[in-house]
Amino acid sequence: MSIRNGFGRVASVLALSLLATPAFAETYPTRPVTMIVPAPTGGGTDVFARVLAEIVEADLKQKFVVENRGGAGGTLGTTQVVTAKPDGYTIGFIWNSPLTTSPHSLNVAYTPDSYRAVMSIGYSSYVICAQPNFPAKDAKEMIEALKAPGAKFTYGNDGVGGTMQLAAERIFRELGVKVRGIPFAGAGETAKNFLGGHVDFYGGSLPPIIEHEKAGKAKCLLLTSAGRNQALPGAMGLSEINLNKAETVLWWGLIVPAGVPDDVVAKLERAFISAAASDKFRDTMAKQGATLRVLPGKATDALIRDELKALGEVAASLGILRRAQ
Amino acid sequence: MDSWTFLLNGLWIALQPKNLLLCFIGCFWGSIVGVLPGLGPLAGMALLLPLTFTLDPAGAIIMLSGIFYGAMYGGSTTSILMRIPGEAASVVTCIDGYAMAQKGRAGAALSIAAIGSFVGGVFSVFGLMLLAPRLANAMLAIGPAAEFTILLAALAISIFAANGSVVKIIAMIALGLMLAMIGLDPLTATPRFTFGSLQLSDGLSFAAMAIGLFGVSEILMSFSQGLTERPKAPRLAEMLPTKREVKEAAMPTVRGSFIGFIFGIVPGVGHIVSTFASYAVEKALSRKPEEFGKGAVAGVAGPETANNATTGAAMIPLLVLGIPAIPVTAVLLSALTIHGIQPGPMLIAQHPQIFWGLIASMLIGNLMLVVLNLPLVSLFVSMLRLPYGYLAPTVLLICIIGVYSIKASAFDLSVMVAFGILGYGLRLLSFDIAPLLLAFVLGDRLEVNFRRALTISEGEYAIFLKGPAAQLAAAMAVAVMIGVIALKWRQKRAARA
Repeated sequence: MSIRNGFGRVASVLALSLLATPAFAETYPTRPVTMIVPAPTGGGTDVFARVLAEIVEADLKQKFVVENRGGAGGTLGTTQVVTAKPDGYTIGFIWNSPLTTSPHSLNVAYTPDSYRAVMSIGYSSYVICAQPNFPAKDAKEMIEALKAPGAKFTYGNDGVGGTMQLAAERIFRELGVKVRGIPFAGAGETAKNFLGGHVDFYGGSLPPIIEHEKAGKAKCLLLTSAGRNQALPGAMGLSEINLNKAETVLWWGLIVPAGVPDDVVAKLERAFISAAASDKFRDTMAKQGATLRVLPGKATDALIRDELKALGEVAASLGILRRAQ
Repeated sequence: MDSWTFLLNGLWIALQPKNLLLCFIGCFWGSIVGVLPGLGPLAGMALLLPLTFTLDPAGAIIMLSGIFYGAMYGGSTTSILMRIPGEAASVVTCIDGYAMAQKGRAGAALSIAAIGSFVGGVFSVFGLMLLAPRLANAMLAIGPAAEFTILLAALAISIFAANGSVVKIIAMIALGLMLAMIGLDPLTATPRFTFGSLQLSDGLSFAAMAIGLFGVSEILMSFSQGLTERPKAPRLAEMLPTKREVKEAAMPTVRGSFIGFIFGIVPGVGHIVSTFASYAVEKALSRKPEEFGKGAVAGVAGPETANNATTGAAMIPLLVLGIPAIPVTAVLLSALTIHGIQPGPMLIAQHPQIFWGLIASMLIGNLMLVVLNLPLVSLFVSMLRLPYGYLAPTVLLICIIGVYSIKASAFDLSVMVAFGILGYGLRLLSFDIAPLLLAFVLGDRLEVNFRRALTISEGEYAIFLKGPAAQLAAAMAVAVMIGVIALKWRQKRAARA
C-alpha cells in the first residue's frame, strides 16, 4: 500500500509539474534574472554580455542583471552558475575556456552534463605572427621553416593551460613541429615581448597586433580558425593548410544549470538568438573584431563536447593534464 | 605643430564643460576608491566602465584615467591615519606616515602627501608629453631577463629601506617570496600549495594580506599595549605642515618625481617599486637616517610623490604602442575599442584629440585633486578624535569592507584575519613587514621572468647579460647591491660610534 501510495504521490507530482511548467514558461521571467559573467568588468565577454542583456531586457520585459564573478580562469563564476537553482533566474554568459580548457588543468566540479548550452554568439580567432624579417611570405613557408632540421623558435602565448596555448599546440601537434612556448600574462604582454624581439612569434588575439602589422612590425601568417579574417588579409585560415579539424577559437555563449525546464531554455534561446542577430549587436561584435556566428543550443552543446575532448588530448600530450577525463 | 601647440588644442578639448565634468567625476571617484582600502583603481575603473559606453572616446578615457591617477592621491589617507594601505603603492607610507600621525602630525602628513602627489602627477604628465616615444622603445627593450634583474635590484633596495637587522629583513623577503609561490605554477600550471582549492589557484589576495598584516595587526597591538599610546588629535591650527616640515619635504618631492617616472617603465609593479626606491634614497641621503620608521617627513614626501609620478609613465605602452602592459591600462584600452578605436603605434597621429585631450585633462585633473584633497585633510583627521573604543571597531569594519568589496569572497576575509594574527606575532618579534609585502608582490614576476628567460635561452644563463637592456639592468643591480652593503656598513659603524 505504501508503495502504491508513494507511486501515486510521485505520479501526481509529475503530473503537476507537467501542468505547471508551461504556465511557468509563459510568464517567465517574472522577476529579474541574474546573468553571471565569470570575468571581470571591461573585457570582451563582459561587453557582449551587457549589450545582449540590454536587448533581451527590452524583449522579455524584465531586468537582466550582469554580475561579474572573475577568478580562477572563469571557473569560479562558472561553478556558481552550474550550482545555482535551475529555475532560469541564474544564467551564465561565458567564453569557452572555463568549459573546454580549464577542466584539464583545474579541479573543477562540473562536466558538460552539469549545465545546458542555450546558444552561442560567435568567435574570435587567435593568430600567429612572425617577426618582419622572418623568411616566409605565407603560412606554408612558415611551416616549412618550422619543420626545417635544427629549427629552434619560441612563441609567446596567453598562459599555460589557456585556450590560446592549446589552440597553437593543437596545430603544432598536427604539423609535427615543436615551438617552445613562453607564457605571458595576456596578449598585451605577449605583444610587448614580441615587438621587443624577445620571442620569435606572437601568439594571441588579433586586436593587440593588427595595428603593428599595418606598421610593418609583424608578419601575421596563420589563424587558428578555419577561415580567414578580413582584418589580417595576409594570414591564412587552417582550411588552406588542410587542418580545419584543428580549429580552436575563442567563442562566447549562454549556459544555464542542468535541470532548467525545457520551455524556459527555449524562451531564452529564442530571445538571445534574436538579440545576437540584431544590428546593434552585430556592430558591437565588429568593433571588438569578433565574427558573428549564432548557433542554437544543440550545436553549441556538440561544440563543447568535441572541443573538450580534443583539447584534453592536447593537454595530455603537453603533460599539463591534471585530471582523468 | 610642436608639442606645446598640440597641448593648447588638448586644453581646448579638456576644458569643454562636458569633459571638465567627466574629469571631475573621474578624479572624485578615484579619490574615493583610493581612500577605501581594498577597492583600487582597477575595480573603480571597471565599475564605471559601462557608463562610458554612451560617451565619446575622448570623454571616456578622460574620466577613466582620472580614476587611475585620482586613486593614487587617496591611497595614502588610510595608511597615514590607520596604518591600512589603501593600495600596494601606499605600503611604504604606512611606516612613516602612520608614525607621524602617532605624533599628532597626521594633518601635516596628509597635506605633504597631497602636495607631493600633485607635484609628482604634474611632473609625470610633462614626462609623458615630452618623452613618451623614446621611453616606449626603452620599455620594449626590457625583456624577461632584464626585468628579472631589475626586480632583483628592487628587492636589494628594500633591504636598505626596511628597518631592523639584515637577517630579519632577508627572512621576511624569503617568506614573502614563498607566499607568492601559492597558486598555479606559471610555466606548467601545476597547482602549488593550493590543497585542491580553486580559490587558492589564483594565489593569495594582496589586499587581504596587506590589510591583515598592517591594519588588523595594529588593532591587536593597541589592545595588548593598552590605550596609553593613542595619537593626539591635532587642533585645526596644527593641520598644516610647519616651515621646517615643508623644508624637509621639498627635496624628497623633487627626487621622488624623477624616481617615480623612471620606475614607471618597470611593467606592472612600477608603483610599489618606485615607492620603496624613493624611501631608500631618502634614507640614504638623510642626515638623520635614524628618524626613518619613527615619523620622518621625507619618508612620506618621497614615496607619495613617486607613486603619482609613476602613473604617467605607466600609460606610455598603451598610448604610444597600443599595448596594455598592466590591467589598469587594459580597461582604458577596452573603453577605446568599444568605440571602435584600436590604439596602436599610430594613435597619437590618427587621434590627436584623444592623446592631447587626455594629457591636458591630466593637468587639470591633478589641480582638481589637490584642491579636492587638501580641505578633506581636516575632515579625515577629525576621525582620530573618536575615542579609541569607537575608532578600533571602525577601523576593523573598514578592513573587512575593504577586503570583501574586491571579490565578495569570505575566503579572503579568513586570509585577512590569519595575516592579522601573523602580523601581530611578527611585530612582537620586531620583524619589519614591509619587505614581506614587497617580496610577495614581486615574487610572481621575479619567478616567471627568470623561468621565461631561461626557457628562451634553453637554460643558458648568459641571457641575463645579453643585449644592452639586460647589461644596463645588471650593472644597475650590481651598483645597487654594493650601495646597500656600503650604506648598511656605514649605519652599523655609526651605531657603534
